[in-house]
Amino acid sequence: MGGKKIKSVSYAKYGYIFSLPFVLAFLIFTAYPVLYTAVIGFTDLKGLGKTDFKFLENPFQNFIQILKTPSFQKSLGNTVLIWTVNFLPQILLALLLTAWFTNQRQKIRGQGAFKVLFYMPNIITAATIAILFSTLFGYPMGPMNDLFKLLGLSQEPINFLNNKTTARMVVSFIQFWMWYGQTMIVLIAGVLGINPELFEAAEIDGATSRQVFFYITLPSLRTIMLFTLVTSLIGGMQMFDIPKLFLNGGPDNATLTVSVFIYNQAFSGSYMYNRAAAASMILFIIIVVLSAILFYVMRDKDAAKMKKEIKKMKAAQKAAAKGVQA
Amino acid sequence: MKRILALVLTLAMVFTLALGFTGCGKEEQPSAPGGTSAPAQPGDNGSKPQDTSTPAPSVSDDPNVKVLNLWSFTDEVPKMMDKYKELYKEKNGKDFPYEVKVTIIATTDGAYQPALDQALAGGGADAPDVYCAESAFVLKYTQGDASSYAAAYKDLGIDVDNLLKEAEIAQYTVEIGTRPSDNKLVGLGYQATGGAFIYRRSIAKDVWGTDDPAVIKTKIGPGWDKFFEAAETLKQKGYAIISGDGDMFVVVRNSSEKPWIVDGKLYIDPAREAFLDYSKKLKDNGYHNDTTDWTDAWYADMKDAGAGKKVLGYFGPAWLINYVMAGQVGSEVGEGTFGDWAVCEPPVGFFWGGTWVLANKDTKIPKTVGEFIQWITLDSSETGLQYYWANGTLYGPGGTKDTVASGTVMKKSDGTLPLLGGQNMFDVFVPAGEFASAKAMTQYDESINSWFRQQVTEYANGNKSREQAIADFKQQVADNLDIIVD
Repeated sequence: MGGKKIKSVSYAKYGYIFSLPFVLAFLIFTAYPVLYTAVIGFTDLKGLGKTDFKFLENPFQNFIQILKTPSFQKSLGNTVLIWTVNFLPQILLALLLTAWFTNQRQKIRGQGAFKVLFYMPNIITAATIAILFSTLFGYPMGPMNDLFKLLGLSQEPINFLNNKTTARMVVSFIQFWMWYGQTMIVLIAGVLGINPELFEAAEIDGATSRQVFFYITLPSLRTIMLFTLVTSLIGGMQMFDIPKLFLNGGPDNATLTVSVFIYNQAFSGSYMYNRAAAASMILFIIIVVLSAILFYVMRDKDAAKMKKEIKKMKAAQKAAAKGVQA
Repeated sequence: MKRILALVLTLAMVFTLALGFTGCGKEEQPSAPGGTSAPAQPGDNGSKPQDTSTPAPSVSDDPNVKVLNLWSFTDEVPKMMDKYKELYKEKNGKDFPYEVKVTIIATTDGAYQPALDQALAGGGADAPDVYCAESAFVLKYTQGDASSYAAAYKDLGIDVDNLLKEAEIAQYTVEIGTRPSDNKLVGLGYQATGGAFIYRRSIAKDVWGTDDPAVIKTKIGPGWDKFFEAAETLKQKGYAIISGDGDMFVVVRNSSEKPWIVDGKLYIDPAREAFLDYSKKLKDNGYHNDTTDWTDAWYADMKDAGAGKKVLGYFGPAWLINYVMAGQVGSEVGEGTFGDWAVCEPPVGFFWGGTWVLANKDTKIPKTVGEFIQWITLDSSETGLQYYWANGTLYGPGGTKDTVASGTVMKKSDGTLPLLGGQNMFDVFVPAGEFASAKAMTQYDESINSWFRQQVTEYANGNKSREQAIADFKQQVADNLDIIVD
């Protein structure tokens, strides 16, 4: 080879160096605990301060035991109920607010202030919110009871949080109130990412705001919606802080979620790490299955159809080509 | 990146620690006894193989350690440490040579134990040197699953045998603090927490014409039957006898014959099962204001600010008066309910709470830790913690008084309180100490009691039948603990 050698500078190694700290931290603090959890679910590891364990004769014994435990079944039901009741109004309100905040025609004033206000509950720590709500619903005296008395709804003080349905609804409400702002911000970001030409075209064609929202905005939001749904589902199934801090799973296990159940298995006295790990893995599998279902339901049907058509066409072309050759 | 850096630093620290430890192991320093108490003496003789006969060994600190980690669930012991530092400076003319790192985690929602357990199991330079355990879970740390982390007081250079006698420490405190596996003392409390009934003088006068504790104790007891008779009398006059059923549970929970677990099986003592009926009776007849302990409404009943009726009294040890009620009832006669209180014997004897102080067996500074613990738990002199504590002079004169574990200290202390209208509360609380016993306790009490009360509330509110409540309680225990439930 003649001439000068062109030295190429490899920047790749800097990439590796810079990502090394994260990879190490991830391996030590995330990957290892996850694998460890997956393993001890099959063992007899329980008791404080013990680290040695052996695998059980029936490796799935812990899993069977957990599935048979009434508290676990109840906690699963509670989790699904509390999440559903909080998510439906949450996504609807977030969509409504998104539609208003991104409306091209009526530019709402003070948008930034409203967005901050709506997002605020998410910034407050769960512990503070738990205390706030247990004070609000205090019995036999508390602001909510005072309100009921004032409005003439009840003369006797009501023990709101001793009622299972009320307790669940309050937890759902807290979750809804804490997270609709977050969902809204994500959806607004999604809308801003849509090609503005689409909206302009619709406007020129004389579409109403409603038509624009349902025929342009919503279909274009599908990927963002999928993201919101899946993250909210994962967060919801792992719901822990509010149910634990607010009523500690009570009254009578009405707000016991799967995560609180897992915590109790490990830390309420007997340190059954193996059973807690098994319950965690069961929860993991449930989340994987539900997410897979969501991905399937929300898949881009048109694109899938297109792909099939293209395949068919190619197959036909090949067949035709073969026919010519023969 | 921070984590990595922290890891490297920790490793470096551990390494230096290890080096320092082996280095100083050669020269043993003579142990100096802490405080002003008697110097360490060898036990009576060495013939018996028991713990009580071995003398306290001399111990020394690792000179490379500069930090003392202290874990607690209130600021009580950390504040004692402040006083100890002050005294140390007075006595030795120099500052306490350790930086005290305090970790306080409240016991509410059972958050303290898991955190402490992790810290003990984790070990290392940040592991607690001194830690506190509350009566609801102290057995776990002195006798149960976590007892192996505790250092025997003797191994900290404390002359346990002589000091126990000299200070006349309440027997139950010693029983609870003794580790059965080697029969060694690993923890002691500084309080005596025998309980009394703390009642309103004005209400007692209105109902029974007198506020004399000697008479009132015969009205509300002995026994729950007389208590309910009194409740009925009070109801006729428009008063509640207690604020909520939790007030009664503090009496019931440790006054039963047997603990929750007998031979590895769940056992519901009749005295505890009866609480289902008591709670329902209280609720159905409106004998209380149906508050939950430690909520706003419960505090409000102490100062007549509640939504319901006026409340005759509360069950509790001396600390309830000084650390809970004192903050609610006002600060001088004529303000709130201050001065309108008195104490008398409860219908059923009980004890409630208390803090036990333990040391980590792996502490690198056993001498310092031992001296500090001795000052808190076994020093019966007038510069010992318990004398300050009993007379309310820990933070200067006029502080809150409390009953302490040392009988010697109690004899020379005065429990007169203006809050109680000038009554000497020690007259009632000191004899109440004899009801205190560890026989009905287990290390799982905090969890089991909270599940039991949940079901009692369900039954008392008419949400389920008595049988169903008991069945659900059993199920709850079976689901969450490694205990056999029939």
